[in-house]
Amino acid sequence: MENQNDSIAHAPLPTAKTLRFRKNLLIQVWRFVAINIKMLNMIRKGHHQK
Amino acid sequence: MARVLILGAGIAGHTAALHAKRLLGRNNEIIVVSPNSNYNWIPSNIWVGVGKMQKQQVIFPIAPVYKRKGIEFHQALAKSIYPEGDSQIANAYVEVSYTDPGRLNQVGKIEYDFLINATGPKLNFAATEGLGPDGHTVSVCTAGHAVDAAEALKSSIEKMKAGNKQCIAIGVGHGTCTCEGAAFEYTFNVDHELRMAGVRDMADLVYITNEYELGDFGVGGMVFTQRGFQTTSKLWTESLFRERGVRAILGAHVEKVEAGKVYYEQVDGTKDVLAFDFAMLLPPFRGVDLQAFNKAGDDISSEIFAPSGFMKVDADYSGKPYEEWKASDWPSTYRNPSYPNIFAVGIAFAPPHQISKPRKSPNGTLIAPAPPRTGMPSGIMGKLAILTIKELLNKGPQAEAHSASMAKMGAACVASSGSGLTQGSAAAMTMFPIVPDYEAYPNTGRSLKDTYGEIGLSGHWIKLLLHYMFIYKAKGRPGWQFIPE
Repeated sequence: MENQNDSIAHAPLPTAKTLRFRKNLLIQVWRFVAINIKMLNMIRKGHHQK
Repeated sequence: MARVLILGAGIAGHTAALHAKRLLGRNNEIIVVSPNSNYNWIPSNIWVGVGKMQKQQVIFPIAPVYKRKGIEFHQALAKSIYPEGDSQIANAYVEVSYTDPGRLNQVGKIEYDFLINATGPKLNFAATEGLGPDGHTVSVCTAGHAVDAAEALKSSIEKMKAGNKQCIAIGVGHGTCTCEGAAFEYTFNVDHELRMAGVRDMADLVYITNEYELGDFGVGGMVFTQRGFQTTSKLWTESLFRERGVRAILGAHVEKVEAGKVYYEQVDGTKDVLAFDFAMLLPPFRGVDLQAFNKAGDDISSEIFAPSGFMKVDADYSGKPYEEWKASDWPSTYRNPSYPNIFAVGIAFAPPHQISKPRKSPNGTLIAPAPPRTGMPSGIMGKLAILTIKELLNKGPQAEAHSASMAKMGAACVASSGSGLTQGSAAAMTMFPIVPDYEAYPNTGRSLKDTYGEIGLSGHWIKLLLHYMFIYKAKGRPGWQFIPE
């Protein structure tokens, strides 16, 4: 397990644009709605097992 | 009239109690036994643990809720189950010891027709020498622990402000722990707090975990689809660690903790010591100290419970090799095979096997993340038990049980840091199903449509929404039943 942090050191680093995207209020409102819809679909499947 | 006895008032037990009153309550008796006087929305303990929330924001007294709903509440610790009764009491019953200050240590016997074991975990700090609040590390497993963690973190931050570098170790304190997602979330909350305090450069933030790879989370990792590519939760998590400058020690079993030192062994057999100034290490879980006796008074605990102390249900406990495990090994009705009127839900049921591949070091040390079964799955199981009891009461013992296998349900994990509406960030993940099903989803074991991860402020809003929504639901306020588990 000597090189466990090498893998982290070579992982993709988000660009400044991506970091801005993660904080942009308009984009994040849209993502909030989208993620909630995805979660509700996933929850619905789990609640309706045959 | 039937009596439904629910042991535990956490997410699984409390959800079961509220649904029991709603679906069965008019003609049946609902009783809850819990040693705690408060309900704790545990996912938000993380925020208490960094001082962003007060303890009172994540707990509330549970007795007034049960009084309002017409549910009988006994503040007591369940000690023994007598599923056949005994020589003096013909009916099945549970022996309890009261923790209520008014009846402290008095013993009670509560009879039942249906029993739901939702006792959750025993926080097994004793499995690792020096681990836990009585040792040398803090925890966020209870609201009280989280308050202590926040105090210790505050003290560490003060030292950094005074110019002293600190090593902050966060993770799990044993090779068989679960809840790596909580440790991951706490790591990034601490990172956020250090940045806000302007001392991030003074801290060496280390995540120590039993996961073989980052992004495993005790569920064997996930595969996401992002921007036209399949990517793994490993790469996704490593990216976050790189961005935030967090080091990782992977595949680790913590052997013991001394003041300022964590001794650990990794999967490859190497042993090392991590010197720390602040350490939040989660304990392994085992079943609570419940025993079971038959009518003759013989101890039948080994028949009812797995060696881990969790209760056996309708799962395959044959102990097959990892390569032969299947999604169908997982339970769907959560009924005890010996006594079908007993259910075990939430953390209280014994999982048939780990989801992450279990590994052993060359020294024979087991390093195997245990399967998570907290939160959403716990709530669904609690409701399922009540739906099955309703069927049994309406249609008799041959009625078909409701089903809620973790191999057919999804889960959401929102690891959020920060506070307020504009200062947070979160890694939001969902997976479907929790237990990979390689027959239904041959390539990755999970639905690519329903398994994804995303980082951003929106995830933080979701975690805030869940906090307020689930506390509203737990208080049984108008319309609570329309909020899904």
